[in-house]
Amino acid sequence: MAPHLGHDEFFKSLADLLSKTSEQVHGSVNLTQKPLIDVPGATTTNSQPSILIRATDGNTNTPNLGRTCKETQIKSKKSQKVKLSTIVNPDDIEAFYVRYAEVCKAGMTGLKKRDRRGRKAKTKGGATKVTKA
Amino acid sequence: MPYLPTSQAYLEQSAQLLQAYPDTTRIVTKYNFPTNRRGNVRRAQKSKARKEAQATDASSTTTSAQPPTSIATLTLKTFNPITGICLHYRTNKAQEVGRLITSLGKLAAGADVAGLGLSAPVPAAGADVEMVDAPVEEVAAPVAGKAQGQAQGQSAKGKKKGGKGKR
Repeated sequence: MAPHLGHDEFFKSLADLLSKTSEQVHGSVNLTQKPLIDVPGATTTNSQPSILIRATDGNTNTPNLGRTCKETQIKSKKSQKVKLSTIVNPDDIEAFYVRYAEVCKAGMTGLKKRDRRGRKAKTKGGATKVTKA
Repeated sequence: MPYLPTSQAYLEQSAQLLQAYPDTTRIVTKYNFPTNRRGNVRRAQKSKARKEAQATDASSTTTSAQPPTSIATLTLKTFNPITGICLHYRTNKAQEVGRLITSLGKLAAGADVAGLGLSAPVPAAGADVEMVDAPVEEVAAPVAGKAQGQAQGQSAKGKKKGGKGKR
């Protein structure tokens, strides 16, 4: 497992990972957060543990099945799987999550955007309905 | 384990789970696109067909033109391996991402239900209010639990209504 990244590096890599997934319109990104307990390197202040943040890609890079032989598949899977992790000290949680939310918002472009055009059409329909009634 | 209907219910219950087991509970956020496995595609087509049929039945709303590209989903999962409790919430709305992640930060910082600062009244506060209004209802603990559940349901309904109104 790769060593834990600093926050800046982590965010940069995460933004890359998210945008890549969104561009491909395929695959997934898994983000995990859990408390880090009894591990050297984690600071604990007033009974609040550090938080470990992990990000991995699911199967974004798995090659097309059936075309390539098994060995190369496994090899490429291993070499291409993205694993990122970082540790957030309890004091930094707030600042970290502000940036985290920004990166996620910017990266997750595959989600449904607020459809303003549809809303307008709907309200129009509603208005006609009202007049009919 | 259940998919919760609203993000608020998910966050509240997650906060409770994290409070109960702060050391072992973890939160997983998954951002993924639908795969094009055959079963998945077929299911999507079926549901789409059903939706269209419903729309024609209602005949009041025109079917909104589906964007040609597949829409990603964001799945939040709070899991405690010791008790096996797993709470899910799934959305595909981009506008929710920022709020959800910020709330996850609050959860990570060890915020309780009240500390989440959600817009609707927190169950505990709601129970207090109810006690003032109708003290008869709050006789035993199970009743209080029920009231809490009702309050949650009501808030969920309110939220839905709000959404409709906005659109």
